[in-house]
Amino acid sequence: MRAAMNTKRNLVTAALVAPAAAWLTVFLVLPFIAMLVFAFGERAPEGGYQVAFTFAQFANLPTRAAAFWNTLLLAPTGALLCLIVAYPVAYYLAVKANPRYRLILVSLVVVPFWTSLLVRTYAWMYILGSRGIPNLLSMIGIEDVRMLNTPGAVLLGIVYGYLPLMIMPIYVSLERLDRRLLEASADLGAKPVSTFFGVTLPLSLPGVMTGVALVTILLLGEYLIPQLLGGGKVFFIGNALVDLFLQSRNWPFGSAIAVTLVAVVVVVLMVAMRIAWRVAGTRQVDLV
Amino acid sequence: MRAFISSVYLFLYAPIALVVLFSFNAGRNASEFTGFSTAWYAKALSNTFLVSALQNSLIIAFTSAALAAVFGTMAALGMERLSSRMRALFDALFAAAIVVPGVVIGIATLVALVAVFSFVNPTIAALWPGDQPPRLGLGYGSIIAAHGLFSMALVAMIVKARIASLGRDIVEASSDLYATPLTTFRLIVLPQILPSILAGFLLAFTFSFDDFIIAFFVAGSKTTLPIYVFASIRRGVTPEINAIATLVLVASLLLILTARVLMREKKSKSGE
Amino acid sequence: MTKWYRDNAPITADRLADELMRLKRGSVTRRHFLGVTGLGLATAVLARQPGLFNSTAFAEELGTQMSIATWPNYHDPATFEAFTAATGVAVEVNVFGSNEEMLAKLQAGGTGWDLFVPTNYTISTYVKLGLIDELDMAKLPKYDASTENPRFTNEGIVDGKTYAVPKNWGTTGIAVNSSKIKTPVASWKDFFEVAMTEADGRTMVHDYQLTTIGNALVSLGFSFNSVKPEELAKAEELLIKVKPHLYAINSDYQPAMRATDAWMTMCWTNDGAQLNRDMPEIKFVLGKDGGEIWSDFYAIPNSAANKAAGYALLNYLMAPENAVKEHIANGAPTTDSRVMKLLPAEVTSNKIVYPDEAALTPLEFGAAVTLTDPGRAELMARFKAA
Repeated sequence: MRAAMNTKRNLVTAALVAPAAAWLTVFLVLPFIAMLVFAFGERAPEGGYQVAFTFAQFANLPTRAAAFWNTLLLAPTGALLCLIVAYPVAYYLAVKANPRYRLILVSLVVVPFWTSLLVRTYAWMYILGSRGIPNLLSMIGIEDVRMLNTPGAVLLGIVYGYLPLMIMPIYVSLERLDRRLLEASADLGAKPVSTFFGVTLPLSLPGVMTGVALVTILLLGEYLIPQLLGGGKVFFIGNALVDLFLQSRNWPFGSAIAVTLVAVVVVVLMVAMRIAWRVAGTRQVDLV
Repeated sequence: MRAFISSVYLFLYAPIALVVLFSFNAGRNASEFTGFSTAWYAKALSNTFLVSALQNSLIIAFTSAALAAVFGTMAALGMERLSSRMRALFDALFAAAIVVPGVVIGIATLVALVAVFSFVNPTIAALWPGDQPPRLGLGYGSIIAAHGLFSMALVAMIVKARIASLGRDIVEASSDLYATPLTTFRLIVLPQILPSILAGFLLAFTFSFDDFIIAFFVAGSKTTLPIYVFASIRRGVTPEINAIATLVLVASLLLILTARVLMREKKSKSGE
Repeated sequence: MTKWYRDNAPITADRLADELMRLKRGSVTRRHFLGVTGLGLATAVLARQPGLFNSTAFAEELGTQMSIATWPNYHDPATFEAFTAATGVAVEVNVFGSNEEMLAKLQAGGTGWDLFVPTNYTISTYVKLGLIDELDMAKLPKYDASTENPRFTNEGIVDGKTYAVPKNWGTTGIAVNSSKIKTPVASWKDFFEVAMTEADGRTMVHDYQLTTIGNALVSLGFSFNSVKPEELAKAEELLIKVKPHLYAINSDYQPAMRATDAWMTMCWTNDGAQLNRDMPEIKFVLGKDGGEIWSDFYAIPNSAANKAAGYALLNYLMAPENAVKEHIANGAPTTDSRVMKLLPAEVTSNKIVYPDEAALTPLEFGAAVTLTDPGRAELMARFKAA
């Protein structure tokens, strides 16, 4: 009787997880294995892949060092810039804003997500191009300013595209913050500034960590923003990958870079989690 | 502070305002405003390729999000009952599906499918009795599969977090009262996790609808809206693109508003 | 006689006359007539002849849409609109910045293109890889091999079979905005020097290995088509030195040149003619030290879903009365003497479009080996990622 019930229970469990398991196997695990196999292969004479076993692709990785450094430099920089802009907004929304308008203001942060990022980035191509801001500048006598196709333009596009993703987690963590703690801090004679640094900021750190980690990791695979606002000059690893598959047709080398990128993401993620644990740990100490 | 917040909102909305403004441009160029006109809306809606790209995007986003909502929720429910080792494996795979960059997902799917097709298609051709053997290729299926992967992980994560926050006691109470597991699920669990399933579905839909990079690799000859927009940026954008972007924005705003209103009604009813 | 041939055999003259009379008497529908006579496709040709057929008759045969892969700013949009009006087939235009990109798309499978525009040096490779079919010349009655200049058509013929027919020829030169740049630019050597000085931050090169690497090679005194590792290494050194001074790496330079975001670019004849027509301060010059002469072709990928429409559009584009409009709009020189006769004098006397033979002497046609040479492909990718 019990055995029969257990079998039935196991069958139900299996049925519940089977579709997702199949999907993960066929469209995540197998493709990753295929990519790994390709990474040890050779470029066919006309491009594409041909069977081989060689470490040549991995040995060739240093030729993309610049793109890796660009990505590893600009992704965290972009995330930090996002944070600098996002924190005051999240703080305002969670703490200062009139509760009556809060919901609308929060929704307004998310709404841009519903127009295509491509179209919005294209709008920036116009704003930063000669007919946009440089044109306005030339009216006040500043001629020939170049904004488009620079690392600055790419960073601006990044902040623009990822700002909502940074504001939301910080807002959520600040909103959960117990107001009484702030009042208590003020009652104990703390100045607003020290209340902020002593109470608010530490308590919002989990949201900050989530936002920074999320944006950094998404940026590691970015392609569109550097492509459109960097003029094919500011190269991320994502651009190098697209190039290898859709121009120079070097599938094995592209696979090797993709595998390496995944490794980089995993390392960044582990570092982020390590920091998050440390932050969480100190916070507990503080609270006790 | 106020000034800073306002300028951030200005920063967020200036490009959108520009997109909307140019959708009413009389000129052909998407960069010089020459007069007011709604002609581009008519043009966009009668452009077969733009409309079919929009249709493709809607079909793909809806299918992948729906599959993700069903299978992701099932997985979240099933994972509860797995051994801790199996659960950890699932958690790791779902996490991987979320954090692996889209460009890598696109490439891996392309590489794997091309490899599979390269020996499946000749096999089918050899075994097929007729003249025109069916050929497997990239298209709807491959985009839905690749989008569904991320979306399913997303739904599973969200629903799992919700299940974890559910009180176990209410489920136990229900079974103490001799409710069958199915009844317990239907009457107790489902209503509680439904909002997170919906939230997951919406996020998944939005992700798929806006995704460019994965589709860029695995779309084959199918054109989604972002792929169409990307191609137009290369061949010269006309305000048709602005018009369709504006329509999509208005449609999603209406959807959100409707959802808000429905939720408020539901809340006030349940409050009675 | 095979079954296939019997089924598809052209109708006999007697039967055609008979059917035509029946059609005229009204005893058969036009659709029946088109069906039995196999003229469904041929009507595409006749569509522009007033009278006999109207445009809806063959819409079913050609489908309602097709797709062409071509280059930036390479067609008069009115051409496709006119084709759609005549046949009911809407044309989707996909734009690419290099032959390598087109090849990569075709190799990855499923492009959906029914017609595309490869350059002379790529065709033998497409044939070798089995990506394009031999053209069925019976479906291209408007094409006339005898009026084509063989200098520009021979690479469309591989092993005596025609795989591609020419669209137009052209050169790869330099477009300079003379109101911004005062230093004279007359060679590729000048181009790269000015790019690092007066045109710092305002120069564009193609996102295309053949021309970007080729012109760098030329500026150093090497062959445009070199695949010698030591020469490529020198070219790479130059390109990487220039890169920080570039405005962008992009084969679609017209928008940036028109907006004066960019002041100088590698430029194809047709773009040079278009830019100069609208902005006379933009000059087009050929490198004294060399560069590329090319011809672009039309070919039909064997994976095309709607080959009938691909042929119909190709045939439409081959008709001199349509081709002449294309040539006037896009500004590329024609390979077809029938079109040449129809062109107005201001086009044929335009030295950008039809330069003196002497200016062409130092130029080279792209060589097939550059398309598949891994060294050049990897150099280009490294240059972009540097």
